[in-house]
Amino acid sequence: MSYKIPMGPYHPGLEEPYKLDMICEGETVVDAELNIGFNFRGIEHLAETRNYVQVIALMERVCGICSFIHTLTLCQAMEKLTGLEAPPRAQYIRVVMAELERLHSHVLWAGIAAKLMGFKTMFMTCFALREKVMDVLQAISGNRVNYSMNHVGGVNRDIEDPIALVPMIDELEREMMRTVIPIFTTSSTARSRCAGIGVLTREKAISCAVVGPTARASGIAQDLRRDAPYAAYAEMKFEVPVEQAGDVRARLFVRALEIIESCNILRQALAKMAPGEISSAGEKLVFATGTATSRVEAPRGEVMYSVTWKENSRNPARVHVRTPTFANMPAVRWMVRGARLADTPLIQASIDPCYSCTDR
Amino acid sequence: MTLLTALARLLIFPGLLFAVPAAWFFLWVERKSVALMQERVGPPFMQPFFDFIKLLGKSTPPRIGIAGLLMRAWPLIAVSAAAGAVGLLPVLPLSGGFEGDLILLLALLELPSICIIAAGFSSRSIFGEIGSAREAALSVSYNIVFLLAIVSIAASQHTFRLDALASAPFTPLHWIGILAILVCLPAKLHINPFSLPNAEQEIYAGPMTEYAGPELAMWELSHGLEWVAGTGLVATLVAPHVGIAWLAACIFVAISFAVVLLLSALAAATARLAIDSSVRFYWQCTLIFAVLAVSSALFMRFRS
Repeated sequence: MSYKIPMGPYHPGLEEPYKLDMICEGETVVDAELNIGFNFRGIEHLAETRNYVQVIALMERVCGICSFIHTLTLCQAMEKLTGLEAPPRAQYIRVVMAELERLHSHVLWAGIAAKLMGFKTMFMTCFALREKVMDVLQAISGNRVNYSMNHVGGVNRDIEDPIALVPMIDELEREMMRTVIPIFTTSSTARSRCAGIGVLTREKAISCAVVGPTARASGIAQDLRRDAPYAAYAEMKFEVPVEQAGDVRARLFVRALEIIESCNILRQALAKMAPGEISSAGEKLVFATGTATSRVEAPRGEVMYSVTWKENSRNPARVHVRTPTFANMPAVRWMVRGARLADTPLIQASIDPCYSCTDR
Repeated sequence: MTLLTALARLLIFPGLLFAVPAAWFFLWVERKSVALMQERVGPPFMQPFFDFIKLLGKSTPPRIGIAGLLMRAWPLIAVSAAAGAVGLLPVLPLSGGFEGDLILLLALLELPSICIIAAGFSSRSIFGEIGSAREAALSVSYNIVFLLAIVSIAASQHTFRLDALASAPFTPLHWIGILAILVCLPAKLHINPFSLPNAEQEIYAGPMTEYAGPELAMWELSHGLEWVAGTGLVATLVAPHVGIAWLAACIFVAISFAVVLLLSALAAATARLAIDSSVRFYWQCTLIFAVLAVSSALFMRFRS
C-alpha cells in the first residue's frame, strides 16, 4: 500500500521553504512532486523601480550565498548595454571573488550534506572551515555575505596586496585536503550513504537540461568558465572535473575536485593580477535601448540575466533572472524515484538547491 | 531478597532516587561530550533537569478516546520499566537477588522499546508510524545479538541470577558477551550510527513527533533511565567484585560514565546508517559475536 509523505515546506532537513511530496511504498519512494514558491519576494518587479545603482544592491539580495555572482552577472549585462568594459585588474578581482564564493558555497553544501547524513560533527567542521573562507572574503571586501564589490564598469574595492592573500588560500587548501575532501572522497560512511543513490543518467540529465556540478556529475562536460569565458577566466588554467556515475557520490566528487581547482585558480589570479585601474565607469552611465544577456558559472551552475533598458531611462524596463536551481530542480523527481526514504533528503540536497533564489 | 531490600533497591539505590538524577547526569554527559568533540560549548550541567521541569509545566492538547489514553500510558510504562531495570542491577555486594532476575531484567530493558513502537502507531502520525516501523525492524535485528550475548554468559555460568553473574570469574566468553552488548547499545539508545527511529532530517522526531509537555518529559526521563540501565548492565558485568558497598557503588558509576563517554564518542564520529544497512550490520556482522559466544558456552559446558 502506498502512502504520501510531505517533506516541507518547513522541515529540519531543508535549508529553505519548499515542499517535496513523496509517494512511498514501505521505505521506497515511488514518485515525488516538488512545490516551490513559498518565498516569492517580487525582486524582478522591484528591479524595474530601481535605478542602475540601486538595482545592483537589490539583486545582490537574491541569494545569500552567491550574492557576488548575481551582481557580476547583472553588471556584465549592464556593461553590454552601456558599452563599458571592466579594466583587467577589475576582471581579476572578479575572478578572485567568484572563486572564493564557490569555495564557501561548496563547503557550506558539504556541511549540509553531512547534516543530512546525520553526521553533525562533520557539519560543524565544515562550517568552521567556511568561516575561514568568509574571513578572506571579509579581508577583501569588508563584508561577509553581501560584498558590494561590483558596479557597472568595474569593482568598488581593490586588492592592494594580492600576494599577501596567497598564504590564506594555501591554509584553506590544506584544511580542505585534511578534512572535507577525505570525507567527500574516501570515507566509508559517506560512501555507504552516497554511492549508487539518486542516479541521474547522462541521457536524463540532457533531457532535463541540468547545469553545473549536477550536470558534470552525470558526464556532461560543461562549464561556462571554460566554454564561454568571462572576467579573466580566459587567462586561467584549470581542469573541469567530470564524473560519469551520476549518483550522489559523483556529485560529491565533482564538488571536492572543484574545491581544489578553485584554490588553483585563486593562486593564479592573485599571482597574475594586472596593475591599473579598477573601474572604467564615468560620472553618468548612458544605456542603449535593447536587451542584453549575461551568463556566469555560479557554484550551483549557470546563472543567466536578461536585462532590458530603454534609452534615457534611469531604471531597467525588465530584469529577468534564471538561477541554476530552476534548471536542476526537475531532475530531483527522477533522482528520488526508487530511492530509500532515508536517502531522499540527501538526494534532493545533492543538486545544492537554492529555492529562495529561484522564487526571487 | 526480602521485601525491604527489594523496596530499597527499587526506590533508593540503584533505583529511583539514584537512577533519576543519574539519568539527567548521563544525558548531560552525552550532550556535553558530543558538543566538546564538535567544538561547541554544550549545555549547562542542569539543562536536562531544566528541560524536564519545563516540559512538565506545559499543557498538551486534549487527547480523547482509547488512543489518547494509550498515548498517555506508554511513556509511564516505559519509565516504570526502565526504573525497574535499573533497580534490578546488582550494584552493591550482598544486595540479594532471585533465580531468573536476569530474564526479568531483559524483559524490562525491552519494554521501553516496545512502548516507543506502540506510541508511534498510537499517535496516528505518518512520521510516528515510520519511526515505529524502523524501531521495530531495528529491535528485531539487534535483540537477537543482545539476548544471545547475555544468555551465553548466563549459560556458561549455569545461572540466571544477576548477582551470580556479576561475581563470576572473567572468561574470554564473558568479554565476547560484553563486547556484543556494547555493539547493541547504540541501537538500543537510538544514537548514531543507529539513530534511525528519530532521524530528524527524515521523519522529524519519529514516534515522538506528536508528543509534548509532561508526556514528552516522561519519554526523556525514560530515555535517560535507559542510558543508566544499559550502561549499568555493562558496568555490573565488567566491575571487579568488591565487598565494600560505597566502593562498589563508585566503581559502578565510574564504569557507567566511561561507557557513556565511549558511546558519545561513537555517536559524534559517525553518520547515520540507513535502515537496511543497519539491519544488515546486526544480522551479518554482530551475529558472529553471538554465534562465537554460544559455541564457546557450549564448549565450556561440555568440558565442565
